[in-house]
Amino acid sequence: MAISENQIADAPATHYGRLNPNTIVGAAFFILALVFLYYIIPNYISSPPFMQHPLLSPKFLPQVAGWSVLVLSLVLMVSGLRVPPEREPGDELRRGVSVIRQGLMVAAGVVYAFFFEQLGAIGSGVLACVLLFLASGLRNPLIYLLAAAFPVLVTLLFIYLLNVPLPAGELWEAWF
Amino acid sequence: MISTSTKLFKSAVVAAVASVTLAMTGVAHGEEWPSDNIRLVVPYSAGGTTDLLSRKVADLLQKELTTVVVENRPGAGSTVATAQLARGGRGSDHMLVMASPGHTIGASIYPNLRYDPVEDFVFIRNVIDIPNVMVVPASSPYNSVEEFVAAAREGQLSFSSPGIGSSIHMSGELFKNLTQTNLIHVPFRGSGEALPALLAGDVDVAFENMPTVYPHIQSGKLKALAVTTAERSEFLPEVPALQEVGAEFGLGDYVTSAWFGLIAHKSFPEEAQAKLGAALEKIVESKNFKSFLPQFGAVAGKEVGDEFRAFVADELEKWAEVAEQANLKR
Amino acid sequence: MENFSEVMSLFLSVDNFIAIAVGVLIGVVVGAIPGLTATMAVALALPFTFSLEPVTAILLLVGIYKGGMYGGSITAILIRTPGSPASACTLLDGYPMAQQGKAKKALKTALYSSVVADVISNVALIFFAAYLAKIALNFGPPEYFWLICFSLTIIVSVSGSSVVKGLIAAFLGIIVSTIGLDAVYGTQRLTFDNYNLMDRVSFIPLLIGLFAIPEVIDFYTSKVAPHIRTAVTGASLTWQEFKASLKTIIRGSVIGVIIGAIPGTGATSAAFISYSEAKRTSPRKDNFGKGEVEGVAAAEAGNNGVAGATLIPLLSLGIPGDVITAIILGAFMIHGLTPGPVLFQENLTLVYALFCGILVSSVVLLVVGNAAIKYFSLIADIPKTILLPIVLMFCIYGAYAVNNSTFDIGLMLAFGILGFVFNRTGIAAAPFLIGFILGPMFEDNLRRTILISKGDPSVFFRGPITWVFVLLTVASLAFAVRRYWVTRN
Repeated sequence: MAISENQIADAPATHYGRLNPNTIVGAAFFILALVFLYYIIPNYISSPPFMQHPLLSPKFLPQVAGWSVLVLSLVLMVSGLRVPPEREPGDELRRGVSVIRQGLMVAAGVVYAFFFEQLGAIGSGVLACVLLFLASGLRNPLIYLLAAAFPVLVTLLFIYLLNVPLPAGELWEAWF
Repeated sequence: MISTSTKLFKSAVVAAVASVTLAMTGVAHGEEWPSDNIRLVVPYSAGGTTDLLSRKVADLLQKELTTVVVENRPGAGSTVATAQLARGGRGSDHMLVMASPGHTIGASIYPNLRYDPVEDFVFIRNVIDIPNVMVVPASSPYNSVEEFVAAAREGQLSFSSPGIGSSIHMSGELFKNLTQTNLIHVPFRGSGEALPALLAGDVDVAFENMPTVYPHIQSGKLKALAVTTAERSEFLPEVPALQEVGAEFGLGDYVTSAWFGLIAHKSFPEEAQAKLGAALEKIVESKNFKSFLPQFGAVAGKEVGDEFRAFVADELEKWAEVAEQANLKR
Repeated sequence: MENFSEVMSLFLSVDNFIAIAVGVLIGVVVGAIPGLTATMAVALALPFTFSLEPVTAILLLVGIYKGGMYGGSITAILIRTPGSPASACTLLDGYPMAQQGKAKKALKTALYSSVVADVISNVALIFFAAYLAKIALNFGPPEYFWLICFSLTIIVSVSGSSVVKGLIAAFLGIIVSTIGLDAVYGTQRLTFDNYNLMDRVSFIPLLIGLFAIPEVIDFYTSKVAPHIRTAVTGASLTWQEFKASLKTIIRGSVIGVIIGAIPGTGATSAAFISYSEAKRTSPRKDNFGKGEVEGVAAAEAGNNGVAGATLIPLLSLGIPGDVITAIILGAFMIHGLTPGPVLFQENLTLVYALFCGILVSSVVLLVVGNAAIKYFSLIADIPKTILLPIVLMFCIYGAYAVNNSTFDIGLMLAFGILGFVFNRTGIAAAPFLIGFILGPMFEDNLRRTILISKGDPSVFFRGPITWVFVLLTVASLAFAVRRYWVTRN
């Protein structure tokens, strides 16, 4: 952990500068903790009119946690300023990732998060799998057949073997 | 012995496979109800008492009508599942919910309910009734309701429950209101957590479901002071009903029980109501069901149709008032 | 001897063996599927046991329970997707091992420590049930309170590279755990008037979101990397390594047994406490979290040690320690049996027949587990481009199936994003999980203690058990502080 200023100057590529993840995360949590303590707790946690003991308050634990985060994030921020952390080697893989690849992943997430009931388990599963296969640039058509087959298989497994109902899809239901 | 049980094991497997194939091929599309699988929605998670009882009823109902698919939809004290039923829409003519005290208590506690717990539903039948028992630890100095109330009026005694808004909690709150005592509520998460505290005497009393405490009453670790039903229970014939011993403390009207009954959307077809009612009647009278009930210290529910609706309306009134008094109304 | 033959006639039936085998198999498979837990499998299997003989029915459920405990670790190790909450701890070292091409070793370690812990747990159930049950009954709110305080100190050892960040994560987990209706007053906490938040945040979506989803996001926000074959390559666990871990495994099992015997504490805590102890006493402390065999062994021993022991309060007191044992209690009742002292008086032969079956289940677990490793490790041969979309699909279906709610899907994805941010900023996710699990227990027991104290704070220190845990808590904290100073200087 303890790295002298000298070392930082010697190896600038392997270390972050003053604006490093620790300072950013520390600052972000510091602000979030302030918002939590002074806006969210008073407005979104209601206290009962009568309590036997102050420690019984519904606000007690959230306040303790909130203050702890506030103090700890300050510590993190200060330590980040004093001793910038090392860079991780994996970062290189992250440069220049195509927007389409990331966009298709987000699209798959949106399909699951917002259209699961409309499209049904099978429909959204097929669509999301196709989107994610496209994101990786898979060209083999057989693989896309897999994208169609797997959700069907898994859905049937859930519904009939495990007795766990999954939605059939409101869109298609209207047609039958 | 071995061969019969092997047979049973096989028949269970066959039944499972049959229900799968039946479900996959879909039931023939006739005009008569049921034209589809019946969905029985359990408003609590899998594995709880409501779930267990629902699956038993589904199992029996399946033999009378058609495939019954049990679905768990827990949330906000059973009100999430009930709200879903109240919305109706496609398939609501084959959808049932296993309602329980949570139906009325939830309606009394949770804010902005988007349905009327009585008007928006068809009440098919109350199927199972489980009494609550007022129990104190074996080490407790109180041997009767009278002694207990006297002590509770003097000092501060506490009662445990498996959670806020449970019928066990509300039974305690009702007791507290009617007897004008100052009992402290100590909430746990589930009866499994609440029971050790009661056995050890960390809390003074509980109004627990019969099946939870019955074995401990038998083994002498808990003392039953009273049962909460209108009449004595056949399982504890020597224990008085709270009504009969508590009249002088304002408990003359004290009746609570954990009931479990089927309700449907208000547009549920009359033909279906009749068929379902008849099937349930048959189930309730069946040997299988009658031998199942005692395991839960339960009796078959009596209220059918409008009688059941009136019962629920009464319950709702009672719990709404208790929730108000206990500061639980949001 | 007459009893012995009765026991054997109850136990030695083809059905029982089928039930154990089928149960363990279902458990392992379901446990390995993300989002489907052993709890769910036991609940869903229950109706099928209505028509079985009582011993057969209960052995089937116990088999599922045990299989599920182990099965959860398979996908945790291979694809960082814990099949059950307890296996989140196995993942800490299991997944790094798989990444280093030592998947087989990790899986075998998990299996052997599970089986050893299972045997120890069963032996404890059979021989010390009465004694352990007594301890369990002495656990009231103050004792739980100190036990939880002690458990919270393990956060330090799973914080990864930065204790400060780990503590932040833990407190964030505590904040998330307070969402829902207040347990004592029923007032709304952080629900923002949303119905889906009135109960607490569901556990499974949080668990999968925090661990599995970040892997998916990470993959699609990086360039396509060459596929690392993790399964078939790599050596198995050597006898030397197993012997070296044996002490850890036995310690973990004992921790599991004690935690399991106390109702309502759970396998997840046991796994983490065992892990933390292993790390504390290991000469290779710094390798923990980076693919340490002993880490996997400790986690699995802890969580499987719980399985047999949770049956102790159930059988001897009729008190279910968790949801699974509550369902098994239901199974007993459906068959006209009441667990508790009465069961030992009236149905002793049945109890012993059950014990025989439970012992056999450990052996079955070994066999089924080995087969499962063989087939499940094929997963690791699938390139990530194909595997991850399918994993995501399982996660989504699983998250939905817990409560039949699309809200939980959104919740899981949201925790996925949080987990991804944690990954990128070097914050460990395990402390968040521990905060989420232990936060409510801490608060509940603090409040219960205050409520039963009737104004007398001495109840917090009312007996030897409270003092034991107070001392353990202080010692654990002191140790953590000392270690912090040593590494700093």
